Amino acid sequence: MDVNVEQQAGALPPRQSQKAATRQRVLDAARELFDTRGYQAATIREIARHAGVSVGSVFTTFASKGEILSEVMTARLDSLYAEIDRVMPHVRGSTADRLRTLFAIHFEFEARQVRLFLSHIAAAYDFTLSPDARPYGRTPRLQAIIREVVEQGVADGEVCADVDLQEVIDLLMAAYAWTYRLVVTRNADAKTMIAAMDRQIGLIAKGFASRA
Amino acid sequence: MKHISPIQVAAETPARPPTRRALAKQQTRQKVLAAARRLFSEQGYEGATIRDIAAAAGMSTGAVFANFTDKSDLFREIMVDDMKALHAAMCDAATRGRNIEESLLKIFVAGYTFYKTRLQLARAAFSVSWDKDGGPPLRNLSAATALNDLFAEQLSAAVERGELSQEADVKLRSQMLFDTYLSNFPQAIFEGWSLDALQTRARDQIRILLAGARRG
Repeated sequence: MDVNVEQQAGALPPRQSQKAATRQRVLDAARELFDTRGYQAATIREIARHAGVSVGSVFTTFASKGEILSEVMTARLDSLYAEIDRVMPHVRGSTADRLRTLFAIHFEFEARQVRLFLSHIAAAYDFTLSPDARPYGRTPRLQAIIREVVEQGVADGEVCADVDLQEVIDLLMAAYAWTYRLVVTRNADAKTMIAAMDRQIGLIAKGFASRA
Repeated sequence: MKHISPIQVAAETPARPPTRRALAKQQTRQKVLAAARRLFSEQGYEGATIRDIAAAAGMSTGAVFANFTDKSDLFREIMVDDMKALHAAMCDAATRGRNIEESLLKIFVAGYTFYKTRLQLARAAFSVSWDKDGGPPLRNLSAATALNDLFAEQLSAAVERGELSQEADVKLRSQMLFDTYLSNFPQAIFEGWSLDALQTRARDQIRILLAGARRG
């Protein structure tokens, strides 16, 4: 990301700006293909053809398609997290309600290109994934945001202090990802997923409630 | 009327032995399935082609297609075999728990034990299950839903025994338990967690998910 900004800010030698342009074309093509075809069907070859560049030039910029998707998601999620940072400090209510709001924002955002998010989850199981790739579950930002909400709950006395926070976070992360199953099996929309997640958060909240 | 020999009578009973041709077909299927299982494990679902599978089984791609409609059909057949065996192992494990928490924990551990030697195949299955096209046929297999149902059966039995409250939302809770069981596979696959570590984690998860359904 930083590299991109620098490249755009300064006057670049033609060769380098061409490289940046290729990179952007590949990312745009990939975002579209991951969303329309899914992770498995969007091959590097298809992405190259769609971007109008050679397969070789894709590989000079990215190590794997998992890495391309990671870049796409990182750029995309930056705007989501900016929204969350803006909204969350103003959200009131119980820990469960604040978690519900947090995830509702996520579902509304991801539902716009929901297959892209399914690809993000599927990428976690890719055999050819390079170590640099960041599929779902390896993006620390979401975990950090959930942790903040739950820690606030501990401070407020709503979350039992001897609950292992990481386990609560992992349960919420799992519930969040697995709610997208409703898209795979039933073409669920954001509203349906939010309702399903709300109930799951309620159930988990009973498990972490402070035993006062 | 022609005389009917006892041999002919035997041949007409439903339990007649398979013909040589049927046996050969069965053997071909098994050979293809074994080769496919190995290649899916080594190369993932996408990486393993029908051509490679045929070559590994020592036959033509035509012979493979004579037995299976396509790669996804072949993959599902392997999954069904495994899920049936897994279901049996989980049912057996459940009977050895003295209460709902223990039974669920034993079910989780039976699953991780079962897949310990076939983690790469599990990985391929997860990859397919999240695909918008490939996912539904795999997720809707009766062998797959039976695993999910097992959790619901355990919870319902616990409600009947009075161990969990009547208001325990069995449907939601069993779904979440199943999802949680599945969600631990990345730790097993990529981080190489031991069965002990998975069990410790699973116990805490089960406790949290059961907490709201406890009586009293």
